[in-house]
Amino acid sequence: MLAYVVRRILATVPVMAIVALFVFSLLYIAPGDPAAVIAGDQATPQDIERIRATLGLDRPFLVRFGEWVWNILHADFGTSIFTGLPVTQLIAQRIEPTFSLMIVTLIFAIVVAVPIGVLAAWKAGTVIDRAFMAFAVFGFSVPVFVVGYVLAYIFALQLEWLPVQGYTPISAGIWPWMKNLILPAAALGFIYIALIARITRTAMLEVLQQDYIKTARAKGLGEGRILFLHALKNAAVPIVTVIGIGVALLIGGAVVTESVFAIPGLGRLTIDAILRRDYPVIQGLVLLFSFVYVLINLMVDLAYIVLDPRIRY
Amino acid sequence: MPAISQGAAAKTIKFVPQANLANFDPIWGTQYVVRNAAALVWDTLYGVNDKLEPQRQMVESEEVSSDGLTWTFKLRSGLKFHDGAPVLAKDCVASLKRWAARDPMGLMIIAQQNELSAVNDTTFKWSLKKPFAKMLFALGKNNSPCSFIMPERIALTDPFKQITEYIGSGPMKFVQKDWVPGAKAVFEKFADYKPREEKASWLSGGKNMLVDRIEWIIMPDPATAAAALQNGEVDWWELPLPDLVPVLKANSNILVDIGDPLGSIGSFRMNHLYPPFDKLKARQAILAAMNQEDYMRALVGDDKNLWKPLPGFFTPGTPLYTEAGGDILKMRSIEAGKKLLAESGYNNEPVTCVVAQDQLATKAFGDVTADLLKKLGMNVDFVATDWGTTGARRAQKTPPGQGGWNMFHTWHSGADCINPAPYTAIRANGDKAWFGWPNSPEVEGDIATWFEAKNLAEEKSAIDKLNKDAIDFVVYAPTGFFLSYTAWRKNISGIVKGPLPFFWNVSKSA
Repeated sequence: MLAYVVRRILATVPVMAIVALFVFSLLYIAPGDPAAVIAGDQATPQDIERIRATLGLDRPFLVRFGEWVWNILHADFGTSIFTGLPVTQLIAQRIEPTFSLMIVTLIFAIVVAVPIGVLAAWKAGTVIDRAFMAFAVFGFSVPVFVVGYVLAYIFALQLEWLPVQGYTPISAGIWPWMKNLILPAAALGFIYIALIARITRTAMLEVLQQDYIKTARAKGLGEGRILFLHALKNAAVPIVTVIGIGVALLIGGAVVTESVFAIPGLGRLTIDAILRRDYPVIQGLVLLFSFVYVLINLMVDLAYIVLDPRIRY
Repeated sequence: MPAISQGAAAKTIKFVPQANLANFDPIWGTQYVVRNAAALVWDTLYGVNDKLEPQRQMVESEEVSSDGLTWTFKLRSGLKFHDGAPVLAKDCVASLKRWAARDPMGLMIIAQQNELSAVNDTTFKWSLKKPFAKMLFALGKNNSPCSFIMPERIALTDPFKQITEYIGSGPMKFVQKDWVPGAKAVFEKFADYKPREEKASWLSGGKNMLVDRIEWIIMPDPATAAAALQNGEVDWWELPLPDLVPVLKANSNILVDIGDPLGSIGSFRMNHLYPPFDKLKARQAILAAMNQEDYMRALVGDDKNLWKPLPGFFTPGTPLYTEAGGDILKMRSIEAGKKLLAESGYNNEPVTCVVAQDQLATKAFGDVTADLLKKLGMNVDFVATDWGTTGARRAQKTPPGQGGWNMFHTWHSGADCINPAPYTAIRANGDKAWFGWPNSPEVEGDIATWFEAKNLAEEKSAIDKLNKDAIDFVVYAPTGFFLSYTAWRKNISGIVKGPLPFFWNVSKSA
């Protein structure tokens, strides 16, 4: 297994290299000019040209790409064109809010979705099943920002229980940290709950048809024990897979959620960087997201071994 | 809330600015949001008051030689930078050199300067080859870039490179460690700031800080900002979306009023280099047919307090405002436009109309223009894009079919349009002009006449002629004058209307 883990980690290197080349090329050919944005609306074309030169944007593609790769190999992701701050510093400033949001959303979604999926499978074909699945379809269909606005209107503006916006670091205390994350996590988790609940239901339906479940029932085991201990464990592989895939959804959803709730996270940093053509920041963020995604896929693959000892690599 | 916490909260203003403070060098980055924050941190030698007259600010006195060629400035005593160092004449010299390299008025001064140098620690002089009557206005104007004074070591930075140290001598210090670009910027009261004794008026007079801390909270989503203001999570929202203003007005804890009386002038520019708008009559056809009301309603809705028709190029309500020569903009006749277009020889060439969809104003203006062009029977190539792409594309001088353009939409801050000095968009000096590259010696001659004007009457006369010639030549098409609201909670007092949010003399009760 160790050899497999090492192999997989080494396999991320070419993946990241391809991502790096792709991102750099895409940004190079994309229209837009950070120098024009920096110079402002009153700037003359001569001003813009001069700023382009000082930023090194007038140099050939290969020179810029080579320099960028060389710097990355030395753990230097460059400096933001706009803020003048190192990309690593900008990412470090924003990583806690985004990871907090993703972790809370993930926990919230799993805690809600898995029981819903299990219950729906157990009561397949009944009103409960249909109600849960109708909720799942609704969850898929409603955009994150709509859920966000509705939650903010009810729980912040009308009931005044929670803040509308912002983020408090965990170092300020668990409740202040949590208070700012409840609404965004609920909004972002909506679609995720729908996804996990549907997959859990499908996987559980298959497992519940197995002979060993009938045997367990014949032995007189309680339904709760059968469902959550015996059946769920064997249905876990597709559920874990979809949780892993869903991390990509979370990253995409975080961009919208962070804007709606004014959370200073990586999602907003990404949007700001794209709109201003802040190339070093975009490149750094895409590499980070790609790395996280590759890492999560690796963790999912490793989880298969734990969940199903029959799987060997 | 405990009494101590209430007191602390009352000493902090939470403010939602118009945009993200993505950089903090007011010379390198000329966006208005940077200038607005910079006005807290850096002071200026002069500052305009609400009549747009330059008043002494860091300067104690000035003297101009009888031939108008040498200006001598003496600094007020006791001025300090935030790092404790005294403000010296050499700091002013270095700061003015950096500013002048990036500012249109500064460039004009440089073009005719002999020397800018420190005489001693408190005095510096600027000697010129010919008189520059607008010197004090240049040093005190409120449009970007303002001539902010920085320590010499910082001001020696190349004006096309960003500074990394934010030390000024203004009433607030920038808390660099708390700056999260795109999310938050923090300013703390500078205890050693020495305000002037005169009453504050815009950028002039006593900048007395009545709060200890100002937090800028960046909120990209207007609905979130509206909710945060209603919930009391923020105190002041600089630029509410017009659609959300009725909700704010309905809240008894919130006050709403016009923010910047100088407002903005909407515009679209036509490319003078390529058909069809290389022909004067084609450009005039657009002016004759367009209806500014359509543009303004598309942007601000039915609120008549928020817009005015603008048969000219200068900011309404300012001393040089004129409608001279503006009759063509009052025609609003598609038929007249069609006639002029036919006379121009328009041959159904595609008109590449670049419209940024991510800016409220450009999106609204672009949709109206597309409709106008179709009504005129023109072949519209509507390019829906974002502002970043527009910024790059408008600089392209290649033909429209090869990455260039025929039209793009934008707007100008009213502060930039009060006279020709900061007004890059009205220049018509061909290759050196703003995008669209109009070339009209008459317009340029009028601008030169204004610069040499010795009194307001002469200035007005020059501007009347400039306005007429610029409209006749169609330097660009003004789509109207529009204003914006600002909104704040009732426990904030002292907010004044102005071209930027002035925080001095603003207080907050618990």
